[in-house]
Amino acid sequence: MKKMVGLSLAVLLVVALAQKGWAGESIKIGALYPTSGSGAVFGGPAMLGHQMAVEEINAAGGIDGRTPIVTFARDTKLKPAVAAAAAKELITKEGVNVLIGGLSSAVGLAISEVARREKVVYIATIPKTIQMTTSKLHPYVFRTAPNTDIEGRGIARTMGQLGAKKLCQIQFDYAYGHDLAAGIAKALPQEAAGAEIVLDLKVKLGTTDYNAYIAQIMSAGCEGVVSGLWGAAFITFAQQARPFGFFEQVKYVSGGEIASHEIASKMKGNYPDNVWSNAYELWYHDASPLHKPYQKELARRQGQQETGGWPVLSYIGVKFVEAAVTKAKSLEAEALIAALEGLSIETPVGRRTIDAKTHQANTGQFWGPMKKMDQYEFRMMDPVTYIPGD
Amino acid sequence: MLTNPTFLFLQTLNAIALGMNLFIIAAGLTLIFGVLRVINFAHGAFFMLGAYVCYSIVEQAGNFWLGVLGAGLALALLAWAIERALLQRLYAREPLAQLLFTFALVLILGDAVKMVWGSEQYSVAYPAGLERAVDLGIAHYPAYLLFLCGLGPVVALALWLLLERTRWGRIMRAARQDREMLAVLGINVPLVYNGVFVAGAALAGMGGALAAPRLALTPGMDANIVVECFIIVIIGGLGSLWGSFLGALILGIVTVFGAVLVPEWEMVLPYALMLAVLLWRPWGLFGRAQG
Repeated sequence: MKKMVGLSLAVLLVVALAQKGWAGESIKIGALYPTSGSGAVFGGPAMLGHQMAVEEINAAGGIDGRTPIVTFARDTKLKPAVAAAAAKELITKEGVNVLIGGLSSAVGLAISEVARREKVVYIATIPKTIQMTTSKLHPYVFRTAPNTDIEGRGIARTMGQLGAKKLCQIQFDYAYGHDLAAGIAKALPQEAAGAEIVLDLKVKLGTTDYNAYIAQIMSAGCEGVVSGLWGAAFITFAQQARPFGFFEQVKYVSGGEIASHEIASKMKGNYPDNVWSNAYELWYHDASPLHKPYQKELARRQGQQETGGWPVLSYIGVKFVEAAVTKAKSLEAEALIAALEGLSIETPVGRRTIDAKTHQANTGQFWGPMKKMDQYEFRMMDPVTYIPGD
Repeated sequence: MLTNPTFLFLQTLNAIALGMNLFIIAAGLTLIFGVLRVINFAHGAFFMLGAYVCYSIVEQAGNFWLGVLGAGLALALLAWAIERALLQRLYAREPLAQLLFTFALVLILGDAVKMVWGSEQYSVAYPAGLERAVDLGIAHYPAYLLFLCGLGPVVALALWLLLERTRWGRIMRAARQDREMLAVLGINVPLVYNGVFVAGAALAGMGGALAAPRLALTPGMDANIVVECFIIVIIGGLGSLWGSFLGALILGIVTVFGAVLVPEWEMVLPYALMLAVLLWRPWGLFGRAQG
């Protein structure tokens, strides 16, 4: 009799577990960031944000207290082909439930294509090309990063407030540059009435000599310049443009997150005047009650008080996975899709909601002028304005 | 656009600054070819190494001119070792062996740069005193680029005087014409060869250091420059100093105005220019027809 009771209890337990399906199981996330080569400057911090979110969740016993996250990280080397192969391998060999990451628009589109074919959910945390959530949209791709339309509107609105009418544009000649230019063109009539782009320059990606372009902008007599030269490219551009008196002549409004602390701390006193730009996150700006504890923990991990703006992107991606699994109570792709559509969570940079139709989160960015500070050797954004993504 | 005086003025200066910087680098290539008859593919790698060495010295010592000198010195040392240990064994072989050797150097030095400095992009600030703009009436122009415009002719004149007015120059010119005869006359020809290779590499290194504030430093920066140098040398005539000077100026003008006036043709223009010169004067503008 005792045996019978024991056996039936065991059966009951098994049945109960089977009904839950996912309890006790862990969720496998494939994280795709460039952690070597030139992309590592941003891929490294992105991986850090990812790990921070995963460790926070696992410290509490996993998602909903019972589903721990296991990360399978792969280096994309900033190459679409490498990223696509890694995504495929993560799905077929490791059996990951969700793909996350992608840095550069080309890499993001490559991962998205694998996700579509293999029917696995992909959360794009960094790529911004508008194509991903428009012409190349499919049920399995979601974007928590902003897109080039959102960023283009930020540029147009900022320029509109500054009142410059005669504009020059300088963009990189690849997907991101083209899409951002289109985003600006779409938003300009509404956000900056009367403003017109009179000179449109396309620069080969990888160019390090901007002197000819700088001279052309200088002689075109523009009041404002809109741009998307990002990362190290802006540092090089600014260094070459400053001696021409460029930044005294024009108001420079740029996407590409050149207001982020990564760039400001690298350029220090060499950061030019008259630059308005954007950032994903600013260590000195508390946009949400969650920001202070987030920033404190990030600072502890990086071993410095002033942290960069890239880790928050990957951090938010993991948090969306957490919320989706909690809501879906399943790790099945279809259930996760249903959960992600319309999902809304509070993040360190404010509330983020994924649109059910476009699969795009309403991720806006912080915009403002970069000011000299008395107490620091690097510039800071002041005042900070949040331009929302919807 | 061409009727805009500011545009013309600024872009002409840009073209001259670029051309003069390229000339200093290409002068080394043409010098080595003229005397050693070796086509040095690694010249671009020497240029890149010069820029990186300059960057490191500026980071450590904070002085740009020290960086330029250090880059020249470092490349001279490296070239001395390469010539003594390896290259001099290949003079007697067919040109293909030398070509392959210098190409191997490109790969080795390229990876060495990645190992030492990584693949991050670096920049070098304009040197103190030349970081400002100069008011030229029509427009402001960076002092450092003006300095480059002036430095090119000075280097050209100095090299010309060295080649034409000194004993060393006479020996180098003689080595170009007949190395056996020179050896018979009791001149240490291997030493001459070594000296020329070292001088050529030092020019590439200093050219790289001088280019560092004008550009950004990336591991792939050698690929472009070696092509540009060959275009210059082919336009000007292999081994001709003034040919390289003129070739560099022409390439500077084509590159700068091409990039802004016909951006779709930017990549093709320098090659089209080279092709046109080759069809018209196969031996280059200042070269001598052979045979």
